[in-house]
Amino acid sequence: MTTPAIHATGLRKAFRSSDGTDVVAVDDVDLTIAPGEIVAFLGPNGAGKTTTVDMLLGLTSPDTGTIEVYGTSPAEAVRLGRVSAVMQTGGLLNDFTVEETVRAIAALHGRTDRVRTVLDRARLGDIAGRRVEACSGGEQQRLKFALALVPDPDLVILDEPTTGMDVGARQEFWQTMRDDAAHGRTIVFATHYLAEADEFAERTVLMNHGRIVHDAATTDVRAAYGGRTVTFRPPASAEGADGIDPAWLAQVRRALEPLGVTDVEVSAASLEAAFLALTAENPEIPENPDKPGTVDLIGAAR
Amino acid sequence: MTAASLPLDTTAAAARTAPRPDMLTYARLDLRRQLRDRMAMFFIVGLPTFMYLVFGLGSDDRVGSGNVAMYIMISMACYGAVTATTGIAGSAATEQVMGWGRQLGLTPMRPLAFVVAKAGLAMVVAAMPVSLIFAIGAATGARGAWTDWALGAGIVWLGSALFAIYGLAVSLVFRGANAAGIASGFIVIMAFLGGLFTPMSGIMLDIGRFTPLYGYASLAHFPLTSGYLPTGEQDPLWLPVANVLAWTVIFSLLAMWGVRRSRART
Repeated sequence: MTTPAIHATGLRKAFRSSDGTDVVAVDDVDLTIAPGEIVAFLGPNGAGKTTTVDMLLGLTSPDTGTIEVYGTSPAEAVRLGRVSAVMQTGGLLNDFTVEETVRAIAALHGRTDRVRTVLDRARLGDIAGRRVEACSGGEQQRLKFALALVPDPDLVILDEPTTGMDVGARQEFWQTMRDDAAHGRTIVFATHYLAEADEFAERTVLMNHGRIVHDAATTDVRAAYGGRTVTFRPPASAEGADGIDPAWLAQVRRALEPLGVTDVEVSAASLEAAFLALTAENPEIPENPDKPGTVDLIGAAR
Repeated sequence: MTAASLPLDTTAAAARTAPRPDMLTYARLDLRRQLRDRMAMFFIVGLPTFMYLVFGLGSDDRVGSGNVAMYIMISMACYGAVTATTGIAGSAATEQVMGWGRQLGLTPMRPLAFVVAKAGLAMVVAAMPVSLIFAIGAATGARGAWTDWALGAGIVWLGSALFAIYGLAVSLVFRGANAAGIASGFIVIMAFLGGLFTPMSGIMLDIGRFTPLYGYASLAHFPLTSGYLPTGEQDPLWLPVANVLAWTVIFSLLAMWGVRRSRART
């Protein structure tokens, strides 16, 4: 059996919040990732993704539990250049140029030979002489990606890599990533964009409230949580100022029951909003709620 | 390395021995970035040089074993050196807090190597106003015994390290992007209280004696003045020494408290 890229058991991390209470950011997380896998960490803000990433990189140590990255401690794996990351909160120095930034980090890795390679790989060649402060958000994100490639790591961890990018920049970034994944790197990325996990990851780990609530092939996650939906428009008489008439909805439910329909939900939700609703409190599909105002999904109520 | 071991080096396993950080290249890039910061370099080199030219040039009245030009030259070199170390240490702390530190945390560089590189950078930049102002002074009639020159320059340069601790402490206590600006602002006030820009007397002098730049500057002046002030009073040597030691302890404690506080957050 080959050494897993990541092997973590029983990870737990709590923080003291400003009002003095302990907030559990990560709770009893077990995770094994094999070399060559592309894995998405999916979850709403505050789900514990960034804390988990920090522990995988040795930037934070867990309160309990163990982590091995390629059979050694995260800090050692970082030191050996086996693991690298694009961090959400990782900063750049505004008054360095793009190339100077890469050269500075390459010097610290003892890999000054890789400056040209990573500039090309992240498609930064044209703006190498530009000051970081003059770069767009997407360009800065690509620069961080270039920095992550400097040690030629076996594992790259990306924490919300496309935050703050517009649609075009986001597509371009993932194109760059896809090119790089073809080189056989293990890639783990945290995101709250369902579409990014869907398009890019083979496996999706769904996190919520610090726990892993689902861990499966991305297609399975989609089947379990997305499925197919049927949309219909209620008659005008059933629509009031505060949404759909509950009595009418109850009637619809009764009428559909014989057809095997277990639930009717009301919203004009996007895929992402649906996902957020699903992860809000309970990983399972919500049980038939009574108040129409709290319901989501299916049934266009405009 | 022997020839026999060469083929091994091409295997994947050998490629994963820990690489050695090239701190010199990093420090050189950081120095270039610092020198490009025109605003900072103006306050470090430009302003004190200009003030020496305005206040010191041609002031040939006798002070101790030299003249007034010499006295003002030392004062202005103090101001430039201290502005350099305060600013560089302050922005080093800010860089760490603002996220570059996390970027560096993903490299094999040890935190101590970063501190050494930044301290080296601060001392190199601090040497610039000292050598420039001393060179101009030497060329334009500042006079003193050779010990005044050598000890003066040495104390100005090395003593400025105290204000690196100060810059670090202020940046850790007032977190955020403008912490380095706050630190430099206080330096101007302390420079007045320390008698760098204008001689003081009476109550202001009594207060000033307790401020950090007073001890440092009067120590740098000491070889020249033997402790005599423009007012005619004389400070014993222990006074500036005690001042410098006390402020070293205070700034170090503040910096340590700041480090502990910033760690507690993560």
